[in-house]
Amino acid sequence: MTNQWKLKEIVLMSVLGVVFAVIYLMFFFFGQGLRNFLMPFGLGEFGYEIIFGIWFIVSIIAAYIIRKPGVAFTSELIAGVVQVLLGSPAGPMLILTAAIQGAGAEFAFAITKWRDYRLRVLIAAGVFAAVFSFAWHLYSSGNIALATWLIIATFAVRIVSGALLAGVLGKWISDQLAKTGVLRGYALGKEQQEQREHDQAV
Amino acid sequence: MISSINPSVKAGAILIPGVLLGLMFDIFTPLIYLIFIIIVTFAFSHISIKKWLLIFSPFVLLALGFAWMRMLYTSEAFDSGPVLIQFWHIEITKGAMEVAASLALRSLCFVALSLLFVLTTDSTKFMLSLMQQCKLSPKLTYGVLAGYRFLPTFKHELDVLRQAHRIRGVGRAKGIRGRIQQFRRYSIPLLANAIRKAERVAIAMESKGFTGERERTHYHEMKVTKRDWYFFGTLVGTFFLVVFLSYSLGFLNIFGKDIN
Repeated sequence: MTNQWKLKEIVLMSVLGVVFAVIYLMFFFFGQGLRNFLMPFGLGEFGYEIIFGIWFIVSIIAAYIIRKPGVAFTSELIAGVVQVLLGSPAGPMLILTAAIQGAGAEFAFAITKWRDYRLRVLIAAGVFAAVFSFAWHLYSSGNIALATWLIIATFAVRIVSGALLAGVLGKWISDQLAKTGVLRGYALGKEQQEQREHDQAV
Repeated sequence: MISSINPSVKAGAILIPGVLLGLMFDIFTPLIYLIFIIIVTFAFSHISIKKWLLIFSPFVLLALGFAWMRMLYTSEAFDSGPVLIQFWHIEITKGAMEVAASLALRSLCFVALSLLFVLTTDSTKFMLSLMQQCKLSPKLTYGVLAGYRFLPTFKHELDVLRQAHRIRGVGRAKGIRGRIQQFRRYSIPLLANAIRKAERVAIAMESKGFTGERERTHYHEMKVTKRDWYFFGTLVGTFFLVVFLSYSLGFLNIFGKDIN
């Protein structure tokens, strides 16, 4: 797998992993605040679910920019490892969680054989990451012991969050980045370049 | 001392009990294991009790909140036994109380295990060990280490960006639309700079002769010794011992099923 990637693509994944590891950690505390705010209403369980999609975003951004097999999985894994390097209190378990979320996003790209990177596939990647991570949390945090209606409600919120915060926001950030011209050496930048040349020719 | 244990073996020793704890739904098993981890933490590492408590105690509060939520909304499978507390229209049964306490103790076990790792492990050594023991590709390892090295510079860049905005008269954002605009103004240039750096680093690495081949020599050889396996055996072995103990005392509860 790593032989297909250029070194600069790997370093890009790592740097994205580092940047988003910091953002992920900040959102951990933000989610805590949200949870405490919602707790008195008996909705504390939703505090994290609303923003859960943010934790899948690096998969979507990296895969959308680089467009090669394994990128969605590896970039999420790197973000997980870097959070451990930063000293996240979630520790090595976080690497496992990251791997599962990354596998979810990768699954959506694998269905299209890593050829299709339209918005709907990016949203599907966010949704699958949400499904995979939800299944894992049913087990690891013991969410399975919750009442059925609450499980279904949190699941729905997480899926919507994955679709919007990871899929839509991820595409938006990547497109904004491509506009600055820094992605010229990567698949997304090249595609946009061709698009512009095509438009000019017409 | 735990800080000298091989980081990959240490991570494994923490992951296995961590994952298996997910099966346990009784109070006894996570409680005894939590006590064991705390004893190991202070007996075999130089972590100061004050520092550890400072990090750990917020999680006790979190776990209490977590338990409270679990207690209010317990699934029917666990919601059994006599009603212990009753107010308004809320009834809390013995079963709900037990499962909530068990899940809270489990989350504290996770935190204690993680702290045991995070507070005793050097980040560079962890990456090198992942490369040498877990066969992570050198391209990825050095890529991550290079990216990690940039972290302090991001903060500096953010300061520069903020000053550049201020000098051009761009003030603080007001309202939700302003906030979104502000988010864009900061995040896109920061990410763009990071991407430029990534490209430069990759070129620099290649120009210095870095090929990313697996057959390479290492300046820091990370070895796995017998001591590492003793540590692994102690952490994982004690977990099974605790499970066996709670089985023989009749406490063991796997996925809501009492096993005696």
